[in-house]
Amino acid sequence: MERIPFRKEELKVAGQTINLGRGAYPLFSTPISPRENYLMFLRGEEPLWMPLARDTLSVTPAIVKDNIARGFVFDMTGFDPNKDGGGPDMFGVEWEWVPQVRGSMVRPGNPKVPDITEWEDYIEFPDPDSWDWAASAEKNRALIEQKDLLLGATILNGLFERLISFVEMSEALVAMIDEDEQEAVHRLFDRLADFYPKIIRKYKEYYHIDILTFHDDWGSQRAPFFSLDTVREMLVPYLKRIVDAAHDLGIYFELHSCGKNEMLVPAMIEAGVDMWNGQPMNDKKMLVEKYGDKMIFGAYPITIDSSSTEEEVREACREFIDTFNSYRVYGGFASTMMAAPGVRESLYEFSRIAKCGRAE
Amino acid sequence: MSKLEEIASAVERGKAKLVPGLVEEALDEGIDPVEILNKGMIDAMSVVGEKFKNNEIFVPEMLVAARAMKKGVEVLKPSLGGDADVSIGKAVIGTVQGDLHDIGKNLVCLMVESAGFEVLDLGVDVPAERFVEAAQDPAVKIVGVSALLTTTMPAMKATVEALNAAPNRADFKVMVGGAPITQEFAEEIGADAYTADAATCASVAKKFVAG
Repeated sequence: MERIPFRKEELKVAGQTINLGRGAYPLFSTPISPRENYLMFLRGEEPLWMPLARDTLSVTPAIVKDNIARGFVFDMTGFDPNKDGGGPDMFGVEWEWVPQVRGSMVRPGNPKVPDITEWEDYIEFPDPDSWDWAASAEKNRALIEQKDLLLGATILNGLFERLISFVEMSEALVAMIDEDEQEAVHRLFDRLADFYPKIIRKYKEYYHIDILTFHDDWGSQRAPFFSLDTVREMLVPYLKRIVDAAHDLGIYFELHSCGKNEMLVPAMIEAGVDMWNGQPMNDKKMLVEKYGDKMIFGAYPITIDSSSTEEEVREACREFIDTFNSYRVYGGFASTMMAAPGVRESLYEFSRIAKCGRAE
Repeated sequence: MSKLEEIASAVERGKAKLVPGLVEEALDEGIDPVEILNKGMIDAMSVVGEKFKNNEIFVPEMLVAARAMKKGVEVLKPSLGGDADVSIGKAVIGTVQGDLHDIGKNLVCLMVESAGFEVLDLGVDVPAERFVEAAQDPAVKIVGVSALLTTTMPAMKATVEALNAAPNRADFKVMVGGAPITQEFAEEIGADAYTADAATCASVAKKFVAG
């Protein structure tokens, strides 16, 4: 690919993205499409700019009941979480939409599975073959046919999160290390490792996705929920099967895992995860230096907020690109791109210049 | 290894099946039940708390240790002559109104209970009035208020304000915690203490009671 130098005209608006419920946003006059650029990056080639979270459209369609239960439907059906969020997920667990949080939770105190060792008595696995994927895809045809941006899909409630939803948090944590309960957790994760690929295959067949985001929070603000050894024993074998299923279909695998989970990165690598967009409390510089040849990391200028001036935004973005341009890093979290005006433009401009120079 | 050390080791390792038998053996050997509780279990939980703070162990290990201690206390209780003899005070703990998160609050309950308090767990989504009502009990020494969300921090403020207006406010300490909470915020809303994790919460609560 020719290293086309940056021209200021590239920041002219050339069109708009599809609105998946978070609003449409402008497309720049980029020399190649953001999707093309992102795919170069994912293949391990040098892109023309650092891919940004806004270079992906990530769909969570209403056909998957989890997305309705979590109030997290982002597709072209005009879903309103305040009206339709909450209710049963695809395993029949009841979620409660909390408007002021803009998210859903399972109200504690009445777990779907009272005893994890007997989960088979309470849980019936859904059958994605019985859902009308063709009708879902038809509603989202324009999204699927667009080729400007990378197309992704998100699976909410990964492995550990699914366990939490069944037995509640404290019980889920204990079950991960209690020798009397671990066997039941292995049985559950084994079934889930067979089940999730069925959904991934539907996303491939009907949505032609490029990337899958798998949502499984593994930590709190100060530390992981569990040790690296526990993750290796309880999660990696099953996560790897899910990752492998995605890779077999030519789909890249992004792990979304909130918390200070940097010490769990070796487990992510062992599972074959392509990229992790960790929260800012993780030391991204350390991570890219230590593991940057094995996995891609999401990072972003964390000093920017809504009170940042135009000058502060540009300086933060310049410094960010100086720090991370030489690593396999993408500009993560769409919300950061909206934190203050000009973030996306500045990141694009500085990374374009860093990678390809500036036109005379 | 002495019997007390064996109990402490089993509690630290979360061996809920072993602890009751060891406690029985210790009682049979004539060891003072209060010593079994303090040296064999509460001290062991302090070690667990320290290890948790230092990221040597994680939440599940802390939970199973607390569970093991609970099993031991069940065996010990008849020999202790009733709750009043062992409790160092009562702690009322809950998550504020509008917030359904319970893990942080549950961990605090476990660690505070393991530190020797009697705990009244108010649950999640607790209105300020409920905290105030529970704090009327003269045995209450600690009121713990939890919030996980930035959006429920105002509810924490309202709860602490309501507690601060209680006529018996001098009788208890208000402690706050949760992911978005900071020392500055705790001071701003008039709480007595902020702690970053459950283990620290338990040790600060103990210090408050010790005066």
